[in-house]
Amino acid sequence: MLHAENLTKEYDGNRALDALNLSVGAGDIYCLLGANGAGKSTTINLFLNFIKPTAGLVVIDQMDVNKEPLKTKEVIAYIPENLNLYGELTGLENLEYFVGLSGKKYSRDHLSDYLNEAGLQANAHRQRVKGYSKGMRQKVGIAIALAKRAKALLLDEPTSGLDPKASNEFSELLVKLSDQGVATLMATHDLFRAKETGTDIGIMKAGVLVEQLSADDINHSDLEKLYLAHMN
Amino acid sequence: MQKLLVKKELQEILRSGQFRIAGLIVLLLTVIAIFISAGYYRSVQQQHAQAQSNERNVWESQDDKNPHSAAHYGTYAFKPKYPLSLVDQGVDKFVGISIFLEAHSRNEAQYMAAADQTGLARFGELTPDFILLFIMPLLVILIGHNAFTREKERGTLNLIKSQGLSLHKLAMGKWLGVFIPVAALTLAIFLLAGILLSSLGDFGELSWTSLLMMLLIYLAYYAIFACVSLIISALSKSSGISLVSLLAFWIIGCLAVPKAATNIAELKYPYPAKQAFDEAVAYDKSQGLDGHDPWSKAAKKLEEETLKAYNVSNLQELPFNYDGYRMQKGEEHEAEIYFKHYKELKSIHEQQTGVYRGLTLLSPYLPVRFLSMSLAHTDYSTHWHFSDAAENYRIGLQQALNENFADNSEYGNWAYKADKALWSDIPAFSYAPPELSDVLAHNGQNFAVISGWLILAFAGLFLSTKRL
Repeated sequence: MLHAENLTKEYDGNRALDALNLSVGAGDIYCLLGANGAGKSTTINLFLNFIKPTAGLVVIDQMDVNKEPLKTKEVIAYIPENLNLYGELTGLENLEYFVGLSGKKYSRDHLSDYLNEAGLQANAHRQRVKGYSKGMRQKVGIAIALAKRAKALLLDEPTSGLDPKASNEFSELLVKLSDQGVATLMATHDLFRAKETGTDIGIMKAGVLVEQLSADDINHSDLEKLYLAHMN
Repeated sequence: MQKLLVKKELQEILRSGQFRIAGLIVLLLTVIAIFISAGYYRSVQQQHAQAQSNERNVWESQDDKNPHSAAHYGTYAFKPKYPLSLVDQGVDKFVGISIFLEAHSRNEAQYMAAADQTGLARFGELTPDFILLFIMPLLVILIGHNAFTREKERGTLNLIKSQGLSLHKLAMGKWLGVFIPVAALTLAIFLLAGILLSSLGDFGELSWTSLLMMLLIYLAYYAIFACVSLIISALSKSSGISLVSLLAFWIIGCLAVPKAATNIAELKYPYPAKQAFDEAVAYDKSQGLDGHDPWSKAAKKLEEETLKAYNVSNLQELPFNYDGYRMQKGEEHEAEIYFKHYKELKSIHEQQTGVYRGLTLLSPYLPVRFLSMSLAHTDYSTHWHFSDAAENYRIGLQQALNENFADNSEYGNWAYKADKALWSDIPAFSYAPPELSDVLAHNGQNFAVISGWLILAFAGLFLSTKRL
């Protein structure tokens, strides 16, 4: 579903991403680990076509992102580290707006169902988002993905700053989406969640994907050791 | 899609206290300005009507007298006020409202409203055109300055972009989101003005077509400001920078360029001083026939030509009173001199207007201001039109009086008195301003500049969205 081939990005001659090769299949949750500046967000941004690659290929659902930037966005959902919505609008109105931008239209009741499915309490649906916690806003983000019927999720440190309960709820939602066949590429610092939620784990260092492994093949302790070994 | 974008923009704008307060203030100021202007308009119209009627009575109440005495007694041509001057007062207060019509002289308009005001008037007045031209663009800036920067600052822009929406559609939605509330407010203001203006009764008849045209011009003005606001917002890194940049644009466009245009026009094409103008006219008059001096060279020449044309040997044998005839020829000669000198003034006016028009490329304010004043009949061109109409009436009046003198008396009979019925037989001065079609034709360049601004502004908007 998500595929990167020799993906390279340079800024003023500095290589932020170096010949990345990566594939995320339907139902997979690929967690990208790495320190700040390792190239995780650059990878996500290249999949989103927010930036253009210096070289290489980015493919979503068999479509070249650079050739069909708008079409590829029809099948993905994006949740950044801080999902800041429109504070003056309610959760329901925010959902209606963003889903509407992707060309999909639902009744308010149907949209409420998506918010419920994402775990947002019913009494919050019609409250203005300026009163929402970060966890509640991230749930709206998941509801957008659900309503969009996204085939792939691109998440840039989505659990950063969430309390453990909210983080756990978020992970459960990802697993639920994975069970529905949604491919997920998630940049994260959270080794524990990566091991618990992910199907595959990649470790990045200075723009290079230095390690790729199946989450089932490693335990928490070894993952931490491996990660720290690469960081030193 | 556009509906969704616009709906969200409007929801946000209407729910934010910023617009509610600013919009309410603008609406309140406009309502106050309209009512103040309406009161002023009614009072001025009343005074005009009274003065015009009194002056006509004075003219018609003259006793039997020599027509040339009546010509020197003179009368006044009053410049009417038009309903749309309530919306845009233009230069009305600075050009005088009546012209004294007398024999031998073309006079300037007198009694400027500005001359009757106190020094405090220099601080400016609260008028509808002030709000429409200066305050409303500020409201557009207030709404539009953070249209894109706010999205960047809170991170929603990436979320929007990730939905697969074309940035052009987003820009159009944003533009409509800024323009619609301003257009609605403008529409409300013009509707209120229209209702008020159409109930003026004896004080003038409103042209709804002109009002509609004026509304469209102001909407185009705000459309340009909305585009510029969004362009700056798209290119700026923060809302603060965007706001400061847009305020700089407003200061340059609405304040600096118009004032610089005035200075440049005056420096490049200065009007002659009043004294120099009068001296030039007096000199030309002294070189020709004045009608009064029968011994002047020009008078002697006319006498010889007339005797020859009528094949008579002396003036008494002519079939008319030669004094009246000479007086008329003198008037015609002086009218030509005035025509020549006023043509030069008009040429300077045209040259100055050319300077303004050249600078319209720097600011959308200038073409909008010109068009608004033209439609309201409060611009310099209309004043010239009125001044020429008054001069034509004066020439006709003098001709009627001189012909009466020439046809009804004998040469040398200065004791001749025309019957007082003559005064009321001469029709009163009436003035019709240029037709709307003429106004529009005369302002073709201003329309072209506004259209150019609109095209460039939208092109700039779509290009700037590529930087998002």
